[in-house]
Amino acid sequence: MKPAVRIQQEDFSQDEEIRALQASSKRMGGIATFLGCARDFSEGREVSEISFDAYGSMALSELDRLRSDAIEKFGLLDARIVHRIGTVKGGENIVFIAAGAEHRVAALEACRWMIDELKQRVPIWKKEITPQGEAWVTPHP
Amino acid sequence: MIRVLFFGPVAERIGNNQAAVAFRPGIRLQDVRDELAAQYPQAFEIVCFAAANGEHVRDMSLPLADNSEVAFMARFSGG
Repeated sequence: MKPAVRIQQEDFSQDEEIRALQASSKRMGGIATFLGCARDFSEGREVSEISFDAYGSMALSELDRLRSDAIEKFGLLDARIVHRIGTVKGGENIVFIAAGAEHRVAALEACRWMIDELKQRVPIWKKEITPQGEAWVTPHP
Repeated sequence: MIRVLFFGPVAERIGNNQAAVAFRPGIRLQDVRDELAAQYPQAFEIVCFAAANGEHVRDMSLPLADNSEVAFMARFSGG
């Protein structure tokens, strides 16, 4: 089975990740997921692709810590996080987060918390590549 | 030697993804930042976070050991 936290260039399968999460416990009554995708339009411009840079070793350890923190904070049974780096075209997957808990509320809240925290503390940067040129993305609040 | 890493928008403004600063006993993270910010003021305008040996650091008075790896980073935009 693939590790629960990964940073990778290749696309991922949501079905595989959910199956892996479900396989971790039969007490799981609710699974919440978040899928982040590359938009082909941003700030009034067409975006052909997005390029990611990361402080790889730190980003992976921060994601690991984020998963552990979420499991503890929300009493999850398990959680998985996969983030792509390299170049991602418009419409393709960027990040997948899944939280599994006994009940839906913890799963939903943990999923929202993990993507918000990821944006605050994981050293990954995205650059939008447009027909007019390239620009690093200024984070949204 | 202190190894300094740059990523994304900071690396682009510096034109390189790493630098080295000579180690001296008592050197602190702030000293490394000051030295590099004087060389690359445009890049350091967007630096919001620092890390030492792969961990976030908020206290810039952190003393550094020889062969430390530090990073000065812009706001993150993953996800």
